[in-house]
Amino acid sequence: MTEAAAVSKPLRERWFGRPGRSLTRRLIWLASAWIVAALMLTGWMLTSQYRESALRRLGNELGDVIDNVLSGSSVGPAGLVVPEIKDASTLRGLSGKYWMVGEVDAEGGFQVLARSSSLAGESLYVDTELPDRLRNAFGDTITYNDPGILPEEAQPLRIAASMKSLPGREAPFVFMAGIERSEIDADTRQFATFTWTALLILGVGLVIAVFLQVQVGLRPLFNLRVEIANVRKGRAARIARDYPNEIQPLAEQVNRLLDHNQEVVERQRTHVGNLAHALKTPLSVMLAEAGTDAGPLAVVVRRQSEIMKGQVDHHLRRARAAARAAHGLGERTPVAEVIDELAVMLERVFQSKDVEIDWRAPDDLAFLGERQDLQEILGNLIENACKWSTRRVRVSAGTSGLGQMIAVVEDDGPGLPADQREAVMKRGTRLDEDAPGSGLGLSIVDDLTRAYGGRLSLAASDLGGLKAVLELPAAER
Amino acid sequence: MRVLLVEDDADLSRQLKQALGDAGYAVDHAADGEEAHFLGDTEPYDVVVLDLGLPKIDGVSVLERWRRDGKTTPVLILTARGAWSDKVSGFDAGADDYLTKPFHTEELLARLRALLRRSAGIASATLACGGLRLDPRAARATVNGEPLRLTSLEYRLLHYMMMHQGRVISRTELVEHLYDQDFDRDSNTIEVFIGRLRKKVGSDRIETVRGLGYRLTPLAGEFEAA
Repeated sequence: MTEAAAVSKPLRERWFGRPGRSLTRRLIWLASAWIVAALMLTGWMLTSQYRESALRRLGNELGDVIDNVLSGSSVGPAGLVVPEIKDASTLRGLSGKYWMVGEVDAEGGFQVLARSSSLAGESLYVDTELPDRLRNAFGDTITYNDPGILPEEAQPLRIAASMKSLPGREAPFVFMAGIERSEIDADTRQFATFTWTALLILGVGLVIAVFLQVQVGLRPLFNLRVEIANVRKGRAARIARDYPNEIQPLAEQVNRLLDHNQEVVERQRTHVGNLAHALKTPLSVMLAEAGTDAGPLAVVVRRQSEIMKGQVDHHLRRARAAARAAHGLGERTPVAEVIDELAVMLERVFQSKDVEIDWRAPDDLAFLGERQDLQEILGNLIENACKWSTRRVRVSAGTSGLGQMIAVVEDDGPGLPADQREAVMKRGTRLDEDAPGSGLGLSIVDDLTRAYGGRLSLAASDLGGLKAVLELPAAER
Repeated sequence: MRVLLVEDDADLSRQLKQALGDAGYAVDHAADGEEAHFLGDTEPYDVVVLDLGLPKIDGVSVLERWRRDGKTTPVLILTARGAWSDKVSGFDAGADDYLTKPFHTEELLARLRALLRRSAGIASATLACGGLRLDPRAARATVNGEPLRLTSLEYRLLHYMMMHQGRVISRTELVEHLYDQDFDRDSNTIEVFIGRLRKKVGSDRIETVRGLGYRLTPLAGEFEAA
């Protein structure tokens, strides 16, 4: 995978992946959808309301024109008499404000009887269905849009028309008035532009606010995530911060779980320890008792006690490793400290041999696991080295790569040929009965190391003896 | 040689008493921590065999009390658990050797002989430098009465510096006196050990004299006490 893909994929997934996977995304998308819907509805209502009221105002003005024309009109002997009304804009040619009076003749055609000067001889367009619509709404005024008297000049009009009767004539007249619409259209457009721009800004602002709110609001959750990660990485033992009421119970449960884990491990350990104590003292008694006698029974007891001792050690070790595998959270053990205390102790134990343990480990190197286990692992290795060494034991520890540490224990003893190194790791193998101890040291180390996902290997040391190399998980610095 | 055997298991006690007696020791036996502490406090034993799992007061606490009272009798601890954490805490409390149960009686006797040989080394006077004390006979050092945990190299370093306290000691001189001839002589490692020793005895006690070496001095105000 290229680096760009590695970076862009999580980013893309973060915002456009399945919303169910991220609380942040879910909250932000939900709030954004609601904000956009609400703002669009608001925008539509505002603009249509504005347009409606503008048209209503125009309708009133048209009604006034019709009323003026109507009130001046009368039916004389020569037919309909319509004087010009006192509105200057209906006089000027093509001023944008017009009126017209006509009638529907016997054939259904429309005859114009009078018109405003502003029409300059043109007529307002009357479509064929208009007379019927007017007849149906007799006496009322209907308004509608019209492309204009001179369509090529694109002066759209708003037209009001009404069918009324005048005294002295049975057949009704059609009164029409028209006003140019472009100004209102422009107003409406401007209003709409303004409104939508304002709403867009508001919407973007709100979405940003939601984003910030979610980020700030969910921060405790992010903090909790970081803390849990720290516990896992061994940088902290527990969740330490205070959290808001909603997630404090979660933090407490995590802590309780950690405690419980710890408790289970401790209980296992104690149990195993008690069992060891309970079995080993009687075994000591049997061994000692058999040792004082040279009879055949004593020989059998002694041999069987040895086997039992081996079995007890083996199974206790298994139990310990199992207890360890069930755990593995949060512990961080300083390596230099453990090596130091073991070195001090073992030099004293092997004082008669004058063994010198030369150790090097950085102060900030920490093992990601329990102190007892590191003591067990290194204790057995260093003890073995001391046992076999002539005088010198060298212990060095350091980091290796990501999250790993290496510890090397070497001695200047006789060492082991390659084929015996394999065998010595196996349970119960004792290469030399003269060396004190059970010979189980290395396989205990191997079991524990494996339980931590680490590795133990044996090689030849340049000091002349055996070199044990341990790979173990390291805690982050 | 007088040995104090502290073990609560009756059978094991009987056997060990028998074996120790046969090996020529005068054996006193204590079955719990209280009795053990009392006997160890009042009688001058040459060596103590101390089981860690005891009724009333546990073995580690008994040992801690003895060491706090200034008893330097070598102590071998017996532990059934075999866990290194138990051994380490035993040594922190002042043990000199350990045996994990079950063990062979011969091995116990061999270890006791080694302990006695060790403690019978040439007796020399305790060295002091302010609150810092070093007892070459028991190979133990204390700061203000608190026992120090030192590796043998650290111990030798401190011993040498205490014998030459107040004087500037060069790194080369330290290398020459600390390592025997088979060791790689690298004067840079002295810095590492001085660093570790400083952490254990208190960093102000060891002064670095730039370009010359190191000097061990009592802390200011400790002269009167010393």
